[in-house]
Amino acid sequence: MTGSVRALSRKMTLHFELTGANAAVGVASGAAASPRSGRLVLDRSLNSEASAPASISPSASTLAPAAIGLETPTFLKYTRHGLQPHLVREVAAELSDMPACTRVQLEDFLEDDGSACGQHDAGLHNFVFLDRSEVLLLDTLDPTVTRRVGKSTNSFLAIDSEGGTKRLTPEVFAQLVDRLKPDIIIPPADYIEEPLPSLTQGKRISKSVTRSAKWLDESIAKSVYPSAVFAAVMGSHSPELRDISAKKLLARSDVAGYVFNDVSLALPFERKLQLVQHSLAQLDASKPRYMVGASAPDAALRAILGGIDLVDSSYPYAVTEQGFASTYVFGGEGAAGEIADASAAAAAAGRLDLWQESMFNDFGPLVEGCSCFTCRSHHRAYIHHLLMTKEMLSTVLLQIHNMHWYKGFFADIRSSLARATLAEDAQRFLERYSSSSEAFGELETLATQENSPTTKIQRKRHAEPL
Amino acid sequence: MTTSDEFDNLTTPLETSTSPALKFDVLAKCSTTKARASKMHLPHYTAHTPMFMPVGTMGSIKGITTKQLENLDCHVILGNTYHLGSRPGPELLEAAGGLHEFMSWNRGLLTDSGGFQMVSLLRLANITEEGVEFENPHDGKKMMLTPEMSIGLQNAIGADIMMQLDDVVSSLTTGDRVEEAMWRSVRWLDRSIKANKRPTEQNLFPIVQGGLDARLRTLSAHELIKRDSPGYAIGGLSGGEAKDSFWRMVSLSTDILPDNKPRYCMGVGYAEDLVVCSALGVDMYDCVFPTRTARFGNALVRTGSLALKQGRFKNDLGPIDPDCSCPTCKNYSRAYLHTTVTKDTTGCHLITIHNIAYQMRLMRDIRQAIVDDRFPEFIREFMSIRFGKTVPKWIISALQSVDVDLTAVDEKTGYSATPISDDFQKVPNM
Repeated sequence: MTGSVRALSRKMTLHFELTGANAAVGVASGAAASPRSGRLVLDRSLNSEASAPASISPSASTLAPAAIGLETPTFLKYTRHGLQPHLVREVAAELSDMPACTRVQLEDFLEDDGSACGQHDAGLHNFVFLDRSEVLLLDTLDPTVTRRVGKSTNSFLAIDSEGGTKRLTPEVFAQLVDRLKPDIIIPPADYIEEPLPSLTQGKRISKSVTRSAKWLDESIAKSVYPSAVFAAVMGSHSPELRDISAKKLLARSDVAGYVFNDVSLALPFERKLQLVQHSLAQLDASKPRYMVGASAPDAALRAILGGIDLVDSSYPYAVTEQGFASTYVFGGEGAAGEIADASAAAAAAGRLDLWQESMFNDFGPLVEGCSCFTCRSHHRAYIHHLLMTKEMLSTVLLQIHNMHWYKGFFADIRSSLARATLAEDAQRFLERYSSSSEAFGELETLATQENSPTTKIQRKRHAEPL
Repeated sequence: MTTSDEFDNLTTPLETSTSPALKFDVLAKCSTTKARASKMHLPHYTAHTPMFMPVGTMGSIKGITTKQLENLDCHVILGNTYHLGSRPGPELLEAAGGLHEFMSWNRGLLTDSGGFQMVSLLRLANITEEGVEFENPHDGKKMMLTPEMSIGLQNAIGADIMMQLDDVVSSLTTGDRVEEAMWRSVRWLDRSIKANKRPTEQNLFPIVQGGLDARLRTLSAHELIKRDSPGYAIGGLSGGEAKDSFWRMVSLSTDILPDNKPRYCMGVGYAEDLVVCSALGVDMYDCVFPTRTARFGNALVRTGSLALKQGRFKNDLGPIDPDCSCPTCKNYSRAYLHTTVTKDTTGCHLITIHNIAYQMRLMRDIRQAIVDDRFPEFIREFMSIRFGKTVPKWIISALQSVDVDLTAVDEKTGYSATPISDDFQKVPNM
């Protein structure tokens, strides 16, 4: 079977439709960089290979649903080794109404010899015990790691690890896809380390555009399993090179969505978003867009205003790792969600610092009125105590609250979009938190952190952060 | 995970005792060994014994929620008075309504006295008649923990069972010091009883001491019985002494301590120790081992333990234990766990959950075997899986003392064991 025939036989299992006001507007280029409501639908039954699971997890629903729908804008659940940070499944089950999509990075499982997950061949869902009613996206790299030392070549993406640099070739990636059977893949791309963007030569960026296109080609050609492909839009800080990358992607019929991943590019977020919007104008607006590195509430809002449909939930994890509980409020008129803490200090930075001495004998919940498991079962003094004594339960309880809060934030965004008040509501939100220089900076802090607060588990850091 | 139900058909106790805050009903006795299966009615919960109590040092068990602990069928967990006394301290715990309220745990709690940690963790622990003198690790000031202060802290914590502050000597110590410590512990017991402000809500257990000296242990046990306490602990062991001495001191203690009250052997946690000591008549145990070893990626199984970090588990697609029904074993393979143990907190949680489930299941099996009066058979099954052809000598001797002879060929299974002199055998000899 030649590569092109394989590409043609890859029937799309993933479809995206714009809903609400945008549906009428359609895919006019003016709408490319505007916020839009959408619905992402995964229907494995459209492709016989995809609909036959190798095995069914014992505790999962016995019948995989016919189609899984996700209302966008929304977030993919960030995981480490396939599980949400700190949350084993029965604890994660305390979180209700979460979007049914999970992202896993291959680097968590990659072995030195290029294999992953041993010889397990019942699919990644089964290996990490993810219910088949979840959409599983397989990416290569962990979005919370911004600096890497390994140098990629034309043949492989270099991935830092404890045992040295691992090499991921498109061929190995393709083989893993066939064995792991993820619903969506982001094939390896040549992400460039750019702590000082002005120094990065155009030649290097040009090389990354060419390499990434080649790797995308080979990853698709060499794999059989019909995962939907989200392709990375490359070009770094060069608008011209971004155009070249975008044109290549526009010409392909086998790309189901676009990914923007410039976490290793040390530019202000506003500038990065401008570059993304520049690319969006060249791309097919009817396809979904996932922006990596736009997880923080202010970044996510700006990205969504700029036309992004998906981010991931690495932000709540970063909040947890600082010992904070999220309190930010996105209130529009009739906004859903809980009432934020009235105290000014907590309100200013959008989070409550559980390390503070004042938490010592505070028997209130993290946030008054919050319906999450943590706020219903425990009080601030206990969580403060757990942090002070370095007990792992502290981060478990905080993660539950922070994910619950994040989910509420996105529900509020979608409501606001449905009422066509997103621009005003977003403005109000951004202004409310603009006075605090610390608001929403937890991901940057995470990049500089040595250890998790309660264990000696070292954070992977192979180079000084940006 | 189902809650224990071994006693559904048994209502008439064979032995019983009623104390202000504890009622103990022995519902089944092994007709061969000294084992018994009982219900212990505590203010917060009715526990089934023999029982293993996981250690939740500072008010939580290593990342596991109280809801998960209930689902794992834990009846009583331990808190450490030394740590809780420092953080968050007695005033806050009182303000919170006690440790149960503070950590949202509705079942049984037991606290140690704080003495052991002090002696093992701190420099310059100087023992006087007044109490234990030590250097505060934060500011170097000389401080004192007296029996009265220990009980004061434990009253604030509010656990169902409190332990007396005892003059603990290492089991390797010999000479006059051992006897001095034994008598002082008796005097400290009396001071502790007097200091207990909540005798109808909290039980105070004395601790039998006397090192490895039979005469001293006997004296100690008889003294403690005079105080008519709700239950008794056997202390000063599990400190690295020869196991042959260990089991003899345990057995001697259970011979003297009253049948109708619970006996608690402190610091015992290895599976084989739990089985043997239950045959010797012990009802309660605690140990950090199962939860501590989980954090290093070691999962407990009937043959010993599996070091899941090892390369040989990379492609092992089975669960830790096919007979275990804990959430980890139902859903995750050894191969998956291999990728994440010691790397993510979730990997640690998954093994911790299994290890707690393992201990709970072992104790349930022990209780059921006693109720069914087939405990000797259970012991042989367990030992054959755990050790195979060769069993540490001390286990053989201990079991022979209660009429279970592992060296005799079992008629039904053909199993028999030969003794080896090592106290510990890591893997079964098949």
